[in-house]
Amino acid sequence: MLIVDVLTGGVRGGTAIMFAALGETLAERAGVVNLGTEGCMLVGALGGYAVAAETGNPWLGLLAGALAGALLGLVHAVAVVWRRADQFATGLTLMFLGLGLTSLFGAAYVGKAAPGFDPVPLPVLGDIPVIGEILFRHDPVTYLTFVAAPLLWFALNRTKAGLLVRTAGERADVLHVHGYSPGLIRTVAVTAGAALAGLGGAQLSTAYAHAWFEGMTAGRGFIAVALVIFAAWRPLWVVAGSYLFGAALAVAPALQARGQSLNQFALDALPFVITLVILAVLGRRTLRAAPEELRRVFAR
Amino acid sequence: MRKIITGAALAVLATACSANTAGTATPASGGTVVPGKGSTAVGFIFVGPKDDYGYNQAAYQGSQEVAKAFPNLKVITAENVPEDDNAARVMNSMIAKGAKIVFATSYGHLDAALKVAAEHPDVVVVQQGNLITGSAPPNAGTFFGTVYEPVYLAGIAAGRATKTGKLGYVYAFPISQTIDNIDAFELGARSVNPSVKTYAVNTSSWCDPAKQAEAAANLLKQGVDVITQHQDCTATVIKATEAAGAMTVGYHADASAIAPKGWLTGSQWNWGPLYSDIVRTALGGTFTGSKYNGNFRVGYKTGDNPFVQSPYGPLVDDKTRRLIEAAKDTLKSGSPFAGPVRDQEGKVRIPDGTTPDYETIEKIDYFVEGVVGSLPKS
Amino acid sequence: MTATLARPAERAPAHRTGTALRTAGRWAGALAGAVAIFCVLLLAKGADPVTALGDMVASTFTGASLQQIVVKATPLILAAMAVVLPARAGLTNVGGEGQVVIGAVAGAGVGLVVQGPAALPLMLLAGAAGGALWAGVAAALRLAVGVNEAVTTLLLNYIALDVMLYLIYEPWKDRHGSGQPATRPLEVAARLPLLSGTAIHMGIVIALVAAVAVWLVLRATSFGFKVSVVGGNPEAARRAGLPVARLILVAMLLGGALAGLAGVVHLAGVEFKLRPGLTTNVGYVAFLAAWLARHKPLPTVGAAFLLAAVTVAGDSLQLDSGLPAATVNVLMGLVLLAVLGWSRRAHR
Repeated sequence: MLIVDVLTGGVRGGTAIMFAALGETLAERAGVVNLGTEGCMLVGALGGYAVAAETGNPWLGLLAGALAGALLGLVHAVAVVWRRADQFATGLTLMFLGLGLTSLFGAAYVGKAAPGFDPVPLPVLGDIPVIGEILFRHDPVTYLTFVAAPLLWFALNRTKAGLLVRTAGERADVLHVHGYSPGLIRTVAVTAGAALAGLGGAQLSTAYAHAWFEGMTAGRGFIAVALVIFAAWRPLWVVAGSYLFGAALAVAPALQARGQSLNQFALDALPFVITLVILAVLGRRTLRAAPEELRRVFAR
Repeated sequence: MRKIITGAALAVLATACSANTAGTATPASGGTVVPGKGSTAVGFIFVGPKDDYGYNQAAYQGSQEVAKAFPNLKVITAENVPEDDNAARVMNSMIAKGAKIVFATSYGHLDAALKVAAEHPDVVVVQQGNLITGSAPPNAGTFFGTVYEPVYLAGIAAGRATKTGKLGYVYAFPISQTIDNIDAFELGARSVNPSVKTYAVNTSSWCDPAKQAEAAANLLKQGVDVITQHQDCTATVIKATEAAGAMTVGYHADASAIAPKGWLTGSQWNWGPLYSDIVRTALGGTFTGSKYNGNFRVGYKTGDNPFVQSPYGPLVDDKTRRLIEAAKDTLKSGSPFAGPVRDQEGKVRIPDGTTPDYETIEKIDYFVEGVVGSLPKS
Repeated sequence: MTATLARPAERAPAHRTGTALRTAGRWAGALAGAVAIFCVLLLAKGADPVTALGDMVASTFTGASLQQIVVKATPLILAAMAVVLPARAGLTNVGGEGQVVIGAVAGAGVGLVVQGPAALPLMLLAGAAGGALWAGVAAALRLAVGVNEAVTTLLLNYIALDVMLYLIYEPWKDRHGSGQPATRPLEVAARLPLLSGTAIHMGIVIALVAAVAVWLVLRATSFGFKVSVVGGNPEAARRAGLPVARLILVAMLLGGALAGLAGVVHLAGVEFKLRPGLTTNVGYVAFLAAWLARHKPLPTVGAAFLLAAVTVAGDSLQLDSGLPAATVNVLMGLVLLAVLGWSRRAHR
């Protein structure tokens, strides 16, 4: 069935975007936009693939991907939080830096074999008709997102660390009064968020595409940034948004493999148009949900 | 600071405007210019990274063979050169470094190549894969193999091997080279298995591994059991196909190592001899009027195709190999597109008894009968 | 600055020359740091940094290279002005890339239909209108439903690209070409004339005039003043009775028009055909050029030249030193990071 294939493709293709968007949610809840998510995903994709190739262990690769993303995120955090550089310009710079660094050091891994993650259908769950196929016959990294999103929701809303992050995003001066450093909290949040973006990149290279190629994120990092607003900074909505976006990407191949087609370029533009339309429809409602400190950035 | 930057900008502008066209050699008036002769360097530009495990890597390897064959020549290479005026800029830089022979190796480099050729009558500029319409300047030309011929042969292997009768083709954009390949693949498969269909899925990118993964997954889901592709990077589709237990027909490079079970055959490049011969012709001062001074195409009919068949995998039986050998012999005097060729609507596009020439084939803009999928209308 | 976490800086009442010296020192330090890190990376790749950088500088200061720098800088200047103007009104226009594409598309559309001497001026107008329209979508969404323009302009970039690809693969494809996805070339009358004896086209004059015009508008007109007030403190501007929404809209439309002009100027001056990859990151690099100069129009011109020079000089890293093409992105990224974060005191 077409709809099942599109939704399955949505989960397959939405996973990397979801990791990145969850990471961006964390950073933005602390009050910092990381437009360099694209760069963080790229270094994660290369780091993940390279370490998997060198060690023969894809799990180590995943870890390396997260670490590489975190390192680049730390650069963003230091520049933006401690050196007061502009968030958007620094983020875009990070994109160029990620593109350059991965191309400089990634050449050796193009076409090189590396162990990766193959689909592992879950027992019982994977046998459920329709739902099993859509959700439970994927690679283990995809299953990780099933846990990661609720976990992030819980951490943000039910733990003290989450409270600190949210306060850094809403009323940073309150933290000062209580002896916390909003700068430090933001640095940690941005770095951890970038680690998630790196994880997304590593999923792309070690589980989805099973290859490294320069520029392979192809704009998915930017999509993740847009998704966060679309999801009104809520982790669980990020899940829905990522799958929706993944599904939009999956429409074209699913149709074509059946010999049907719509205009190719209209289909390519579809995910971006959908995001734009949803942003327009949700409009001010999303803005009201924005962390206070971010509102200064986003709507003046 | 602001004054310094602004001042520096004005200085650059002034110098640039006053500088005469340095580096742009003007032909000695009246005297004859022999393009390429006495060159001390050869330039190669590639549209992608030179280690993409595909098209660009093959071209890069060809350039390295030129370096080996002509130890006195400096071989200058540039990767990731976009298909716009940046290509002209990079070629001009190479010429400034002494290159009087320049290879522009991507389809879309043609306009820039012709511009550079017009500016530098003393430089041989050859372009790989595109077609000069009208007459070629005395110092320019295009060259290519008949890529669709080995693809046709691989189609025979695919048509024989498929159990479901469904083949898959992952491609980037509907340019003529790709359309020829998809058509030839289906024609080859049909020649041994008349009911076989080829499902064409495009990715709108020469290399977006995630989109390739999605394309392969959907083809496999629909019961396709042999997949081939026209992409610059090929590993993702091959690994997905192998992991699903389906069969692979390669493109650009011998990738049997990553598909030890399902590898059938494929097509791969061997540019060294052709590149070297072009360089030899240019250095000798005989480029103008030679076969390379135009649209040079070489196929099984005319000589050594730089696009050769990849080694066979374990699934290709003896009968298939004999069929392919026989077809190869036929191609020495014929063409994969020898009539009758019908399009998807069943209309005869190449009549019975007609063998189209290379240029006609390179202008085919329709899918043949048996290809499932549609092309944009233009 | 729209997106810094810093409150407006309080200037230390220091002696002027002392401040200037310290600023210059900070710039030099930041740039030296960036180059030093770059050298370490080159060493890691087994290249000799001294030779690589030396060749880079040497190959930049040739007549042909300098001309190429001007050609590359032309669309960058215009697209950077498209960042500067909205930024003064407090807007972040990351959509230069898309506006440039739509400008080129609109210009090409006119160029394919209109013949003779009217073609060029009409193309320029159409390009500006196209860019303004594209930026207008983002401005409208911002004003009507409050969606942030940084995000919408970013999304619109991708849509613009698909619009162009659709046109050149389908309705506008050159039927007499060799199957390449491109329009037929512009007529000679529709091309921008070259400065005599060079590869530089008249677009640079348009770009410089536009930059000076932006500078004058921001500096010497009441519109410019009002826009800066809106950008400085929209709440105060509203209380002062300024038509904030209209000012934001106009700033964005003018910006978009300049980016559109960048696209059509590049088309009519260099490319002559609409084809995939027409812009190759012009919009993004221009965004960074504008930030490099902290949104001051005339220094932005300098920054555009600087980034154009880095690109052209980057060729040498490949041709002379055999390094990968993207090496130049690393250099650019490091320099930008140094300037953005380390060229001035961080006000805490």
